[in-house]
Amino acid sequence: MSSSSCDVVVEMRNIVKKFPGVVANDNVSLKICRGEVLAILGENGAGKTTLMNILYGLYLPDEGSIYINGKRVIHASPKDAIKNGVGMVHQHFTLVDDLTVAENIVLGAEDFKVYYNPGKLIEKIREFMKDIGLYVEPSKKAYELSAGEKQKVEILKALYRRISVLILDEPTSVLSPIEVNELFKTIRRLKEKGISIVFISHKLDEVLEIADRIVVMRAGKIVGELARKDANVRLLASMMIGASGLSSIEEKFEKNTSTGRKLLEVIDLWVKGDRGEDAVKGVRLSVREGEIVGVAGVAGSGQKELAEAIYGLRPVKRGRIMFNEVEITGLPTVERIKLGISYIPEERVRYGVSLELPIYENIYLEKIHSEKSKRGLLEALGVSPLKKRVMLEYAQHVVNKFGVKTPSLTTVAGKLSGGNIQRLIVGRELERGPKLVIASEPTAGLDIAATNFVRRTLVDMSRRGVGVLLISSDLQEVLSLSHKVVVLCNGEVMGVVIPGEASIEDIGLMMTCSKKMSIEEVEKIWAM
Amino acid sequence: MGYVIRIKPKPIQPFVFVLAPLASFALAFLVGGALMLWAGVDPISGYSAFLQGSLTTFPGLMQTLIQATLFMLMGTGIAISNRAGVLNVGAEGQYIIGAILATYIAISYQQVLSPQLTLLLAMLAAMLGGALWAMIAGVLKGFMNVNEVVTTVILNWLAYRILQWIIRGPLRLPGPQLYPMSPPIAITLPVLEPSSGLNAGLIIALALAIFSYYLLFYTKAGFEIRVTGSNPELAKYAGFNVSKVIVLSMAYSGALAGIAGGVEVLGNLHYLFEGISIGLGYTSIIVSLVARDHPLGVIAASIMFGTIYSGSSFLQTATHLTYTFSKALEGLIYLFVLVTTLFAFYEIKLVKVK
Ligand SMILES: Nc1ncnc2c1ncn2[C@@H]1O[C@H](COP(=O)(O)OP(=O)(O)OP(=O)(O)O)[C@@H](O)[C@H]1O
Ligand SMILES: [Mg+2]
Repeated sequence: MSSSSCDVVVEMRNIVKKFPGVVANDNVSLKICRGEVLAILGENGAGKTTLMNILYGLYLPDEGSIYINGKRVIHASPKDAIKNGVGMVHQHFTLVDDLTVAENIVLGAEDFKVYYNPGKLIEKIREFMKDIGLYVEPSKKAYELSAGEKQKVEILKALYRRISVLILDEPTSVLSPIEVNELFKTIRRLKEKGISIVFISHKLDEVLEIADRIVVMRAGKIVGELARKDANVRLLASMMIGASGLSSIEEKFEKNTSTGRKLLEVIDLWVKGDRGEDAVKGVRLSVREGEIVGVAGVAGSGQKELAEAIYGLRPVKRGRIMFNEVEITGLPTVERIKLGISYIPEERVRYGVSLELPIYENIYLEKIHSEKSKRGLLEALGVSPLKKRVMLEYAQHVVNKFGVKTPSLTTVAGKLSGGNIQRLIVGRELERGPKLVIASEPTAGLDIAATNFVRRTLVDMSRRGVGVLLISSDLQEVLSLSHKVVVLCNGEVMGVVIPGEASIEDIGLMMTCSKKMSIEEVEKIWAM
Repeated sequence: MGYVIRIKPKPIQPFVFVLAPLASFALAFLVGGALMLWAGVDPISGYSAFLQGSLTTFPGLMQTLIQATLFMLMGTGIAISNRAGVLNVGAEGQYIIGAILATYIAISYQQVLSPQLTLLLAMLAAMLGGALWAMIAGVLKGFMNVNEVVTTVILNWLAYRILQWIIRGPLRLPGPQLYPMSPPIAITLPVLEPSSGLNAGLIIALALAIFSYYLLFYTKAGFEIRVTGSNPELAKYAGFNVSKVIVLSMAYSGALAGIAGGVEVLGNLHYLFEGISIGLGYTSIIVSLVARDHPLGVIAASIMFGTIYSGSSFLQTATHLTYTFSKALEGLIYLFVLVTTLFAFYEIKLVKVK
């Protein structure tokens, strides 16, 4: 299908959008056909989200116009966009935790009244879900949902507003392969109903699997358009980056072969989740110096609670955490930071940055603890002066090394693109000289070059003796970087495998709680 | 092809920052003038009285600065706690507690100790009293997540009740009085200008506002405050003790309000009565709002609010307008300031789309 011969639903003409210091969209024209899946590819900061935010009415373009079914429209707010049949699911979830799925779906739609019958509403939504063929128990509260389920609810929420164009901004960045498959089934079903899908992703294999047409953006411009049949990984990658400078797309990494003494040891760890349920059940694992230990599992299997317990953000119900043979189970986070533990959190906007503070302060963050003032009294009172010059210099170094694209160091973090926020956080956590890195979804939202860079940096660090606990929903990532992989399901360790020695099928079975290794087998691998 | 209205927050522009308050004055004066006409007073003479009472005459200007001192102290405190994400609605109560303790120490020791020492002790007591009073709400918020707006409002009410009791009981001036009051305070803060009684309180307030600015933007503590206020989850993650930040910034806020109470009784009134509580602590919330929680902005906003306060008070003495009328005018100006501030902080524009 090419856009010249199709039934055009949306047409964006000559869109220009400037922000201070950047031209986010530079004279962009785009057509969306009925019932197609249009993928938009591009490096971090290329302008993908901005373009779609304009279509969804979050920004007005500085120049250019939008046509829907051939009619000129103005989207001054998402309300206008929805009225014209355009819905959008953002990079970050927007559900209200304490409301039910059904309430979340109708929230903000016209027919949501103050007085309503919750039972009736749930029945109505159940019917609606059956019509669409996409189901999440409507009486569940949003906080009870896994990432995949939340994604579905966000989609249902958009569909409930009777839209004909659905924009999905990086919907797969924190989904496990199983959940990605589910999502693709949904997308195909929606396509059959004549709904057009805009799919933004950095994962080329996903794009090649689901897209009908692919548009590539670079530095605010559209630099190419391809039908799927004409596309391949190599071509797409070179279009995105410009030159054919990309050495390899899926870089191979030489694992560090000399691991040292035990750095982190987690013994029979039990941790409660937000709802008071046991989210981590008797987990045992260890990370040696120079070793990368992966944690695989479907999103919501206890990874987050495990990481937070190790970092001191969540109380431990039972069990012990040892660091360098010293127990740290009860230590506050600040002490663990001083011991040399870093943490890249998975929900970057919620835990990882302050959108209102400038970039240099966001980068310096934990380093404030390592500052020793000579003036002891001021230090004790907490009013020792900040060294702004030092902060700026350090921030500049991190920004350069990790390629954070920003007009200036004093720009507030809220103005960065999703991938650039991720680069900031990863850079901050890797650059402050840690002995152990807990990396949760470290490459989520990063473009190919940045993903490779972060992976290479992790491997390099392990060579220098740093231990890494790598938590990722990207199974490929975990297997290609780790020495050992712990498979979690439902908060329990189902098994520990050495990449290359276990089959993907077995790992898949363990991830869904369908297979569990014996204690002897597990102990044997830990002893290696 | 059409027009659309866009509303979105915008960065501070110094130009708008100065213009907005001026515009609000102009608007409020227009409406106030109409009200004066209606009340049978010539607006021109009404407003010249307003200006005489606040800016254009020396006594008026002194009056403005005396009022501004209190706004500056409380507004700065509120700005600091706001930056930590805690809304201190309790400045009024902390100010009352400060005034009570300062009076109590002054009356108890003025015949025993040297005036300087008594003064110092009284001011310290006011500061600590205010801090502790605020810390009650701070601890409840920081450790038990109890909403600080509710607790500070309750604490205000409680402080007022204590005030009522104390001037009828332990600190009562014996003999028949027009209204219940404490015995006179014999010591006084150093006077800067004798005819008006403008005192060192202004210097304290300015120094604390400037120090607070330094604290907020140039120290480790200020960094922790700003991170906590803008994203408490991030603060926890960064290893900051969020409860401690909340409790201490509340204490700081209360300390400044307590000092305001001390300045009022030791510098301006020299006795304690119920009338010290006229809601200045609540007005100071608007002061910090207009200043966008910036301590240096608070200095400017305080002088502006001091002008409104003393001008509208003088209006009453100079014309035959009633107390209620001048208060209504004062409220009206505050309202306009609030609305124009909104316009100054948010971009509300009509966009032409071709
Ligand atoms: N609200 C804003 N204010 C200022 N600059 C912005 C704003 N939103 C985006 N930008 C800038 O515009 C450019 C494009 O950002 P956009 O979010 O569209 O990128 P993207 O292609 O979605 O990238 P990513 O893959 O990282 O999500 C970036 O340089 C970004 O810093
Ligand atoms: Mg984006």
